[in-house]
Amino acid sequence: MRKAFLIWLLAIAPAAGAEWKIAEPGLRYEFPRDHHVHEEFKTEWWYFTGNLTNASGGLFGYELTFFRQGVRSPAERAGTTSRFLVGDLKFAHFAVTDAAGRRFFFEQKTSRGSFGEAGFGESDRLAWIDSWDLKMNPDGSFDLAADMSGADLRLHLAPLKAPVVHGTKGISEKAAGEGHASYYYSITRLRTSGQLRLRDVRFAVTGESWFDHEWATNQLAAGQAGWNWVSAQFDDGSELMLYEMRLTNGAIDPVSSGTFIRADGSSIALTSADFQMTPATFWRSKTTKASYPIGWKIAVPREQLDFAIHPVLKDQELILSPIIYWEGAFNLEGTRAGKPISGRGYIELTGYATPLQELNR
Amino acid sequence: MAVPGLPREGGAQSQHTLRANPEGRASAAFARPWTSRSSCPPTGLAPARFLCILRHLIQQYFLLFRWQVLRYLQRHPLLATLNVATVALGVALFLAIQIANQSANRAFEASVDVVAGKAQLEVNAPAGNLPDNLLPEIAHQPGIAAATPIVRGFVTLPQFPGEYLDLLGIDVFTNEAFRTFQLTDFSAETFDLQQWLRGPRVVALSEGFAQQHQLHAGDEITVQSNGTTKRLTIGFLLRSKDSAVAPDTHFAAIDIGWAQELLGRSGTLDSISLRLTKGADPKTVVAALRKIVPPDATVAAPAQRGEEIGKMLAGFQLNLAAMSLVSLLVGMFLVYNTIEASVVRRRSEIGILRSLGATRAEVRWLFLGEAAVLGLIGIGAGMVGGYFLARALVGTVAETISSLYVLIHVQQLEIAPWVWISSFILGLVSVLGAAWLPAQSAAAADPVQALHGGLRIERATRLSRGWIFCGAVSLLLAAVLSWLALNTGPPWLGFGAAFFVLAGFSLAAPELIARFSRLLRSHLHRRIEPLLAAVNLGRALLRNSITIASLAAAVAMTVGVAVMVFSFRQTVSTWIDQTLIADLFVGPAANEIAGPNSFMPPEAIQFLERNAAVEAIDTFRALALPFRDQTISVAVVRGSNRRNLRFLHGRNDEIMPRFYGEQCVLVSESFARRFHLAAGDTMELPTPSGRAAFPIAGVFYNYTNDQGLLFLSEKNFRRLWHDERVNSVAVYLKKEASPQSVADEFRQRFSHRGEFSVYSNRALRTRIFEIFDQTFAVTYVLRTIAIVVAVVGIFLGLTTLVAERAHEIGVLRSIGASAGQVQRLLLWESGMIGLLASALGMAAGLCLALVLTGVINRAFFGWTIQLAFPWASLAWTPLWIVAAAIVAGWIPAWRAGRLDVADAIRSE
Repeated sequence: MRKAFLIWLLAIAPAAGAEWKIAEPGLRYEFPRDHHVHEEFKTEWWYFTGNLTNASGGLFGYELTFFRQGVRSPAERAGTTSRFLVGDLKFAHFAVTDAAGRRFFFEQKTSRGSFGEAGFGESDRLAWIDSWDLKMNPDGSFDLAADMSGADLRLHLAPLKAPVVHGTKGISEKAAGEGHASYYYSITRLRTSGQLRLRDVRFAVTGESWFDHEWATNQLAAGQAGWNWVSAQFDDGSELMLYEMRLTNGAIDPVSSGTFIRADGSSIALTSADFQMTPATFWRSKTTKASYPIGWKIAVPREQLDFAIHPVLKDQELILSPIIYWEGAFNLEGTRAGKPISGRGYIELTGYATPLQELNR
Repeated sequence: MAVPGLPREGGAQSQHTLRANPEGRASAAFARPWTSRSSCPPTGLAPARFLCILRHLIQQYFLLFRWQVLRYLQRHPLLATLNVATVALGVALFLAIQIANQSANRAFEASVDVVAGKAQLEVNAPAGNLPDNLLPEIAHQPGIAAATPIVRGFVTLPQFPGEYLDLLGIDVFTNEAFRTFQLTDFSAETFDLQQWLRGPRVVALSEGFAQQHQLHAGDEITVQSNGTTKRLTIGFLLRSKDSAVAPDTHFAAIDIGWAQELLGRSGTLDSISLRLTKGADPKTVVAALRKIVPPDATVAAPAQRGEEIGKMLAGFQLNLAAMSLVSLLVGMFLVYNTIEASVVRRRSEIGILRSLGATRAEVRWLFLGEAAVLGLIGIGAGMVGGYFLARALVGTVAETISSLYVLIHVQQLEIAPWVWISSFILGLVSVLGAAWLPAQSAAAADPVQALHGGLRIERATRLSRGWIFCGAVSLLLAAVLSWLALNTGPPWLGFGAAFFVLAGFSLAAPELIARFSRLLRSHLHRRIEPLLAAVNLGRALLRNSITIASLAAAVAMTVGVAVMVFSFRQTVSTWIDQTLIADLFVGPAANEIAGPNSFMPPEAIQFLERNAAVEAIDTFRALALPFRDQTISVAVVRGSNRRNLRFLHGRNDEIMPRFYGEQCVLVSESFARRFHLAAGDTMELPTPSGRAAFPIAGVFYNYTNDQGLLFLSEKNFRRLWHDERVNSVAVYLKKEASPQSVADEFRQRFSHRGEFSVYSNRALRTRIFEIFDQTFAVTYVLRTIAIVVAVVGIFLGLTTLVAERAHEIGVLRSIGASAGQVQRLLLWESGMIGLLASALGMAAGLCLALVLTGVINRAFFGWTIQLAFPWASLAWTPLWIVAAAIVAGWIPAWRAGRLDVADAIRSE
């Protein structure tokens, strides 16, 4: 799901549909082929989040996402010669949370990629924009690199589980009606190690990451106000992905769904009837005056799962243009089948600072 | 004569005063201030006493002023009005030209602001051929914080004839830091990036342009560029953000990719705007950039372009400003005349005032005050009028600048406070300066003599040799200044020469009048009216000299400008006859509106080349190259031995083969003068293939641009610039071929929607002269106003004359002269003044024409104008001047005829 709202702005443009493919049921995912770019779809992203620790026990979160937003479908690209007329836009978000230091760094990069300085590759370089880079190694591991004024990060990520496809029949529904869906898979646990620099201090970090890859065309519908998205990694080796699509009338869209991944890698698709998400604590941004529900109580009765989300830092708000959202690392604690359970994860809250209606105009 | 007489006309006001009030009360009224001065405490604190006296002095001055000046003016509303009007005209013209010039400059700067935005540095490719793949390398140079590419082109809008868009291809991803405008959807404050990028050809228009042509979101407009027709979709508005001056509404923005497509510019940029990191040294950055940009690209601060244009326009604008001053100069003569008249009329009052205890200074200030009142009203009116005149003139000035120098569109008047202040000061100084001499003479008057009516006529009838000597010195100075202006500079010394020509001839006026008067006196024995007129002319020598000199100055100005424009036109005409010999001229229609920025499609050139009726074609490509830190205009021509240039030295058939065969250039006369170059010198020019040396093979006559022109052969250009684009084509037809049928054939094939303008030889000539006349339109306006001021001058001068001689006229009438005879006498006098003024003016004008054509034009614009005289219109000049003088003399003459004889000679 994630970050589709970012694209919302762009994707809502009505004329776009005809030339682009839409996500239809029945796709057979193939790897590593599907790690690569899907140019015939309008929007696509590669999304990494993770919780890391250093030798002295400091806790750090990171987010690195590469977005592709189609401007002209491959069919429309013929007949022009300007290098500035590109098929898609490239942009990326990079954020680092320093829980102990109560610091949060973030930056956005955008580019046409007219000179190859940004792009999505068919080779092992999956996505890049300037020095921010996502590489896939022959052994199936990934290398990430990104830097900004306060921080830079170099990580090696080795999958601990096979990719999990979300939704049913290979598509993840985002709204009622045909075509409002995406192709969406995750590698829910990757062993992560590397280097992090914060200001002038560089140190080694280790931890676990989560990788999402999603592509679609016009997956969203009008009347959607934003969403809450959660990825949780439990210490018993299982993971959970949930999202709630909020409608402008205040209700939750019934297409909201999730996936529970057991320690053995098998997964269970969850519908909106299978889980409850209840906001517990709120944080009000001084900059944007937006009030975000950053702490949650979550119940998945089917899996006898009950837990609470506690963000490692209140201020993990990304104030970017044109989109402002909150995305942050959290710790969790709760019970599974009566036994205590803990873990970590990331939560994304959109549509709180900038009403989507505003943005949609 | 025990009691001083008070002639009715001159002293009407005081007479009225005396009649209305018993003498004692009048005296008391004058005396009160003097007595009240002593009401200040005789002792006490010095400052308090000083202030008290000062207050009384001021009160006293205003009392006097009200009695003496305001009432007088009230009595002579026509005189006052004319004075005010001439001062107003002079100030208005000066102000209007200042405002128009300034607005034009500011409009250009505003356009630089829009294009370069907040850039600190700019990499510019003169031929618009900056490779776009340079961008990443430039952006990653140390010291560069941000870099954004720009492609710029002009498109015309056939739906709205004469309209164009100055299309900026921008990259919204990188130009955020540079933008001085906002891009928004029509409806709201948002911006649909998707629509902007997806295109095809979605454009942002300025709000002003959209409103003017009632264009809305989603509308499509047809545009023409490079001889092709395309459609643009209107999607966005371009709103200015924080620019002090609203940018030209012709600016439109489009995504840089679509701009490259639309303008056929894929792979190239016009410029790259740069912002520096904090603390980066611009010089170091420039030096580093110079190493990576092509040799012909420039790296400089964008403000420099504004300055360069400012310099380029300076000569043109200074000339306008100088001409605008002529009216003020003529106006000064008039003010002098009026104040002098007022002094003469009120001699006896001055005597009374002086005998009542008024000091010389007080009398002087009384008359200066009169001038100041007239002046201030005139200046006030002139400022208001100047503003409106500026609004009327600015379009013409901008059009002239656009057709001669650089495309500008003035959106609004730009009026700096100093313009108001300087025109105010200039007006006041001129008025007070003009009034100084009469005021001084009033102050110097001996009270006894002033009260003695018989001596009120000017005494200085004896001709002093000093005048003619000063005149000769002035002319000599004019010659010296001309030489300096031409040989050492600065060019504005030429205006000094023009001034001294006028001064020299003006100083010759007394001698001329005296001789003329003597001549007539010795020949006219029978005809009493002309004889008396001639005698009178010679008697009030100084005053008549000034009347005649002021009129002569205006005539001289008219004649000088007429001869200059005529010579210029003749020279251009001859030049065109010799050089413009092709039969057809074909170019993209956009070039005519927006300058040579569009290119001929190769297939159109091929069509003409291969046409059976065509003997040969010549190509033209305009280019601006940097040379010695300035921008020079370069014309790339194919030639094919057809081009017939006229050279200053050397023969066409020797120079042209060299030009086509070797690596060399030809430069125009203005160019050679501007850069102090001559045939045989070698110029080094930056080319994309590195700097190359070009010997100058010849210097040719050219009148298209005062900045000068450099000719480069197409062969050399293609070899060094690797650029085959052509702006227009000249077609030479075979002998029997019809230009009309070739033009029709071309139109049918390529120009059915008006993409190209096709001119026949004749039509192009007509067009050239349209532009020429437009260039001089403002000159004509200035000249006309100067003439109006001059005619007003004759009227004023004669009115004064009648007023002065009321007494004498009375005597004439009393000894038997009829009213008709008196009137004829005065008409003779005004006719003679007109005749002398036109004679003097013609002579001065011809001399001025020499200075204007041979000195000012050469020094400022660097071209040779062959002097030619519009004899027919010159022959008419004295006739209408004399006629105007007689008409202007009519009212004073009529008045003189109605003079009450008894009143006029009461004093006798």
